[in-house]
Amino acid sequence: MSDYQEYLLEREKIDHWLDKGYMITDVTENLSGAELTLKKPENDLEKLLIKTADGRKYFSNLLFQKKEELESR
Amino acid sequence: MADLRSNLAGIQSPNPFWLASAPPTNSGYQVQRAFEAGWGGAVWKTLGDPILNVSSRFAAVSFNGQRVAGFNNIELITDRPLEVNLKEIYETKKMYPDHAIIASLMVEPKQEKWHEIVKRVEEVGVDGLELNFGCPHGMAERGMGSASGQVPELVEKQTFWAKEAAETPVIVKLTPNITDITATAEAAVRGGADAVSMINTINSLAGVDIDTWNTIPHVGGKGAHGGYCGPAVKPIALNMVGECARSPRINVPISGIGGISNWQNAVEFMLMGASNVQICTAAMHHGFRIVEDMIDGLNNYLDEKEIPSVQELVGKSVPKYSDWGNLDLNYKIVARINNDVCINCNKCHIACEDTSHQCIDMLKDGQGNPILKVREEDCVGCNLCSIVCPVEGAIDMVELESEHPPMTWNDRQAVLGLVQEKKGNLTP
Ligand SMILES: Cc1cc2nc3c(=O)[nH]c(=O)nc-3n(C[C@H](O)[C@H](O)[C@H](O)COP(=O)(O)O)c2cc1C
Ligand code: SF4
Ligand code: SF4
Repeated sequence: MSDYQEYLLEREKIDHWLDKGYMITDVTENLSGAELTLKKPENDLEKLLIKTADGRKYFSNLLFQKKEELESR
Repeated sequence: MADLRSNLAGIQSPNPFWLASAPPTNSGYQVQRAFEAGWGGAVWKTLGDPILNVSSRFAAVSFNGQRVAGFNNIELITDRPLEVNLKEIYETKKMYPDHAIIASLMVEPKQEKWHEIVKRVEEVGVDGLELNFGCPHGMAERGMGSASGQVPELVEKQTFWAKEAAETPVIVKLTPNITDITATAEAAVRGGADAVSMINTINSLAGVDIDTWNTIPHVGGKGAHGGYCGPAVKPIALNMVGECARSPRINVPISGIGGISNWQNAVEFMLMGASNVQICTAAMHHGFRIVEDMIDGLNNYLDEKEIPSVQELVGKSVPKYSDWGNLDLNYKIVARINNDVCINCNKCHIACEDTSHQCIDMLKDGQGNPILKVREEDCVGCNLCSIVCPVEGAIDMVELESEHPPMTWNDRQAVLGLVQEKKGNLTP
């Protein structure tokens, strides 16, 4: 699978949990990439390992955009 | 006709092209011919206690038929008595009062030595002084040149001593043989330097003769490291100029040196913060008259851009030079091959396949002819294919619009820090 295909799958997974109302509560970077911890009140924790460079850029962009939004309010 | 007059810390010259302190400025005869050819200034071959040289002294590195891609020397400072040089400086300045003559100086790191030489050269009417803290060989073994230029405290102290006696502007010429040139540039500023110049030559060994096993160059079968200059060192010099220009603690003008071979190179150095440029190897390779093309080229460039004075170029690219952490991670370019220009040599395919991201496909067009096509989603925009492509215009690197606004690495790290702090309150 090309890096790009892998990225699309990772992006889908991230979007999937966020669409369900989960929040990224922790990002741990390690030799494999970035481990995201996602949480929704009353629900179990979800962990996602995001390996591709574009995938790691993607969730960083989402978080960064949110921060910018909050700051401009 | 643009105004080419330049001003480095108060030293005026009719144009920004100076000969660097080296063989081209060894004598009055040479400097006078250089001024006649059009050079705006000359930094005299370094003065100090006259030395003894060896033979041979120079070697050059040719690369794929390009002669003098790099130049290496094991020559020391002047071997002529101070009085002879001073007399010729005096005569030359009388003949060319509007051209800049700067005395390059190197003495032992002692206060009285600096005071003595500064006074003696200023008596003959030089426009400024350049302290040579850069020569990497021969003089360094005697505690001078780069040996003192690598130690910020010694740079500061010697600059201070020279300034104590000096009435003309003091330029401190820095060695590139150091990890962070801003450390010594700052030391020069603390010592009171009116300007800094860079770079002197880089420690080097031009080669080893694989038949005789001698070094290149060698002196009767023995070699020693020399100093490297010429086109090959330009990127190193340009970065050092840029690093100093963008440092808020180095607030003195910069004279840019290192590999400058034409007017375009000079413009690059000035855009990156140099107030003027100094040139050695290009003059040694092609003679004094190369300055004619430099002056014409610079003039036309300024006229075309409707810039009235060369001084307006100085530092224009400095705000664009930053740290990696401030670059936008979302900026994206990809390669696009123009199949009507491409000659199907496949160099780009091989480069991408073997050493980049395997995203140039070899396909057939409707008529069964071989064509190359970039899979843009896999292209990382590294530029390698366009660098190796031998045909101008066959590959364009094109900008793609990003779905996200700009985000730098520093932005990203800051937001990841916030995630840890807020535990979820930031979530999209
Ligand atoms: C043969 C030779 C002798 C040099 N001698 C001196 C010198 O006496 N003093 C000095 O400050 N720099 C000296 N340099 C260094 C040059 O002034 C200049 O800093 C260096 O060559 C980089 O510029 P370039 O790439 O245009 O040659 C010498 C360079 C060469 C090639
Ligand atoms: S820019 Fe780099 S990754 Fe893209 S096609 Fe060219 S060599 Fe491959
Ligand atoms: S390197 Fe240039 S000319 Fe050669 S195949 Fe690639 S695009 Fe065509």
